[in-house]
Amino acid sequence: MAAIVEGNGLTKTFGTGDASVVAVDSVDIRIEESELVMLMGDSGCGKTTLISLLGCILTPDDGDLQIDGKPINAEVQDLSVIRREKIGFVFQLFHLLPYLTALENVMVAMDIARTKTAEAENRATELLTQVGLSERLHHRPAQLSGGEKQRVSFARALANRPKIIFADEPTANLDSRQSDNLMNLIQELRQEHQTTIAIVTHHEGLKENADRVIQMKDGRIVAT
Amino acid sequence: MKTLFLKDMRYRQARVILTALGITVLISLILLLGGIMNGMRIQARQYVESTGADVWISAEGSGGAFIGFSMVVEEYMAFLNSGPGLVPDSASPLVFAQARPTVRGKSTKAIVVGYKLGQLGGPKSVLEGRMFTRSNFEDYRPEDPIPYEVVVDEKMGLEIGEQITLSNEKVRVVGKAKSLMFVLDTPLLFMDVRIAQKLLLGNTPHVNMMIAQTNKSDQPAQIAADLDALETIEVRTLKQTLRDIIAYYVDEPMKAVQFLRVMLWLAAGILVGMITYVTMLEKTQEIGVLKAIGGSNGYVMSLLLKQVVLISTVGVLLGLILSYVFAAAAPIFVAIHFVESIIVACISFIVCCGSGYLAARKAITVDPMIAFRGEI
Repeated sequence: MAAIVEGNGLTKTFGTGDASVVAVDSVDIRIEESELVMLMGDSGCGKTTLISLLGCILTPDDGDLQIDGKPINAEVQDLSVIRREKIGFVFQLFHLLPYLTALENVMVAMDIARTKTAEAENRATELLTQVGLSERLHHRPAQLSGGEKQRVSFARALANRPKIIFADEPTANLDSRQSDNLMNLIQELRQEHQTTIAIVTHHEGLKENADRVIQMKDGRIVAT
Repeated sequence: MKTLFLKDMRYRQARVILTALGITVLISLILLLGGIMNGMRIQARQYVESTGADVWISAEGSGGAFIGFSMVVEEYMAFLNSGPGLVPDSASPLVFAQARPTVRGKSTKAIVVGYKLGQLGGPKSVLEGRMFTRSNFEDYRPEDPIPYEVVVDEKMGLEIGEQITLSNEKVRVVGKAKSLMFVLDTPLLFMDVRIAQKLLLGNTPHVNMMIAQTNKSDQPAQIAADLDALETIEVRTLKQTLRDIIAYYVDEPMKAVQFLRVMLWLAAGILVGMITYVTMLEKTQEIGVLKAIGGSNGYVMSLLLKQVVLISTVGVLLGLILSYVFAAAAPIFVAIHFVESIIVACISFIVCCGSGYLAARKAITVDPMIAFRGEI
C-alpha cells in the first residue's frame, strides 16, 4: 500500500535552553492509504504535536515529511495550500464558526479552496446528509448538540476530498452513546470516501475500531 | 461565500454599529469644526469686502487696521483725501470695536462700526427705517450734540424705535441694514463715527483705521506700498487686510481647534484600529481554525479588510451626511465646503482603513496551532 503520510526523524522542540521541551523526538511514522490509525498515549506525550507536524500546521525542527508521496518543505511551499488540498482536520472542541449554519460551516472549507458556491452548496448538503444532518442544514452551532457539531466538523474535514483526516480527541466532549455513533459514522465515511484517518484519543474503548494503534510516550513512538 | 464577512459582522452587530457610529461622530466633528472655521473666515471677509475700500490705513506701530487704535490727525486726513493714487475725498475714518450692548435687558455681543455717513465703511442704505444722523463737524471739536442713533443688523430682530444700552447710554434703533454678520454671527451696529468714539473710546479722537479707494487706473498694491513708505502710517491692500483680519480673528484663536481636528482624525484611526484589534483578539481562535483548514493569510486578511472597509465607508458616509444636517441646525454660521468634505472623507477613510489594515496584519500572524486549544 502507498503511504499517504510518511515522516522520518521528525523532531519538534518548544522553548530554548533549560526550559526547552522535546515534544516529538526523532519519530518515524508511516500512515498508509485508507488506514484508520489511532495515536494513543498519556497527556503531554506529544500526540497533538505529532499530528500538527503531519498536518503541516507545525514545521519540524528536524526530519523529513512526505504527504501523498511528495516531500514537504515549508521554506519553499505554502503549507496552507497543502492543508486545504490534502488534509482535513477535526478538532476536540469542534471549532465551528458560530455565525454560520451547519451548511455554511462546511462550505467555508470549500470557499477557502475557491470552489464555486453552487458546487460547494451541493457537496456540503450531500456531506451533511451523509452524516445524518439533512434536517439540520440551516441550524447554527449553538442549536446543535455536541455529537451533531462533531458530525458537521467531519463533514467540513471531508469537504475538499482530503487524502487524510487528522482528528484530535474527537470524542472527548461526547457521551458514550454519541462516541459510539461517531465511530460508526467514521467507519462509514472511511468506506464511502476511501479517506485515511488518524485519530488522537485517550479513549481505550475506541481501539477496536482502528486498523493500527500507535502508542506514544515522552515524544517517541513506543509501539505500533 | 462572498457574504462570509457580512455574516460575521451581523453576528457582532453591536460592535460593528458602535464602531461605525464612533467614526460617524468623529467625522462629523472634524467637518463641523472645519465648517465653523470656514464660516468665521467668510464672515470676517464679508464686512471688509462690503466696504468697497481698496487701502486700509492705520498709524505706524498701532498694530494695524482692526487691531490697534490710530489718532485721527487732520493733516493725515487732508493728505489722504488728496493723496497720490487715491480717489479724492474717499478717505474715511472707521471705528470697528467689540462691544456688549444691553438688548431687551440682555447683555449681547456686537461689533460697533462707526463711520461717516455717505462715505466708506457702512451700508449706503437701509432695508427699513432710515440712516443715523450724520455729525455736523469734520473735526473732533467742537462738541456735536447729535442724537445717539444706530442702524442694526436685521438679524438682531430689533424694531425701529427700540432702544439699546451701550456704555450706559440709550441708543435708539433708527434703521435696519441687510444682514452682514461678523465672526461667530456677531451682529454689526452702524453709527456715526463721533458717537462711536463717545460711547466706546472715551470721546477721544481715535479710530481703528482709515479707509480709502484708489483710482481705477492705478494698482492698489503699488499705491499702498508708496504710502506705506511714509514712516508715519501703515497702509495695507484689501488682500493684505483680509489676510490680517483672518489671521487675527480666526486662524490664531482657532489654532487649538485645528490641533483638535488632527487629534480627531487620529482618534478615528485609533478607534477603528483598536476595535479591529480587539475584535481580532476575540476571533483569534476562529482565525486559527480558518488557517488550520487551509485559509491562506490573504484569505483571512481579505475577510478582515472587507469588514474594515465596509465599517469605514458607512461611518464616513454617515459622518458626511450628519455634518451637513448639524451645520444646517447649528446656532452659528457653519460653511462646510463640498470639496473639503470630500477631502476630509477620503483622508478619514484612508486613516481608518490604514489602522484597520495594521490590526488585520497582526491578526494573520495567529498560529493555526491555536485551533487545537480552547473554545471559539
